[in-house]
Amino acid sequence: MTGQEHAAPLRTPPAPPPLPPPGDDATCHTYRTDLAKVRALVLQQARVAGLGEGRANDLVLAVSEVAANTLRHTRSAGTLTIWREAGELVCEVQDEGTIADPLAGQRRPGPDATGGHGLWLVNQVCDLVELRSDETGTTIRMHMAVELPGLDDGQRPAAGRLVRISASA
Amino acid sequence: MDLLTTSVATGDSDGGPYTLVVLAGEADVTNSGALRELLDAEVGKEPRTLVIDLSELRFMDSSALHVVLRANRTMDRQGGVLALASPRDPVAKMLRLTAADQLLPVYATVAEATAE
Repeated sequence: MTGQEHAAPLRTPPAPPPLPPPGDDATCHTYRTDLAKVRALVLQQARVAGLGEGRANDLVLAVSEVAANTLRHTRSAGTLTIWREAGELVCEVQDEGTIADPLAGQRRPGPDATGGHGLWLVNQVCDLVELRSDETGTTIRMHMAVELPGLDDGQRPAAGRLVRISASA
Repeated sequence: MDLLTTSVATGDSDGGPYTLVVLAGEADVTNSGALRELLDAEVGKEPRTLVIDLSELRFMDSSALHVVLRANRTMDRQGGVLALASPRDPVAKMLRLTAADQLLPVYATVAEATAE
């Protein structure tokens, strides 16, 4: 590192671009305390989309963790939106909470931590997680690639890398 | 029907006396307070071994995990052992991802957990 770089002021990284709108076929559900209903809805949609049982349960865990944050950190309802995109299933959770840390959930909590595992788990089990948060609220989008028929879990793309399969590309 | 049902029993095995807590249903942030009260009460009796049977637990979120980790910490301090038994796949995966399975023993069956 040169002295010049070192002297450069630390700047807040630019805000990420806004998320594109959900698909036209989106299913919407408003929740407050009934997280079991949220999980049942995600599991049903995941099965319809063709996610394997393990990955369907991963998505259920991720959405439930994010929806639990609505209960913990806000006094209002949250909205779950689920839709299909080319080659993937997307679940979006929106609420009035604010997540100030742009790296929330990207650092592994200490081994004996008794907090902070929720968003970490979300990032571990989903193929892609997009987070947008400001003083008006938080949107978290969780993407799961839908396996091609004939691919088993061992052949699917590694978690953390989103593969878009699009006929129009 | 309650989302989470619990029961407590005590028993004796080759490994000595133990307390068995059975969780059934779904454990999440909406019932982690009740779970904490239950585990606090059982841990407060200072058993040598406390086994939590997870075989009927379909779902566990991080707030339920935190309650278990807190109980584990207290058991440690008291010189006891907290063990988990027979988690289903989704719960076992969650214990692995959070490395909770490195902090406390996880057994395939209650019999194995109480034999130690």
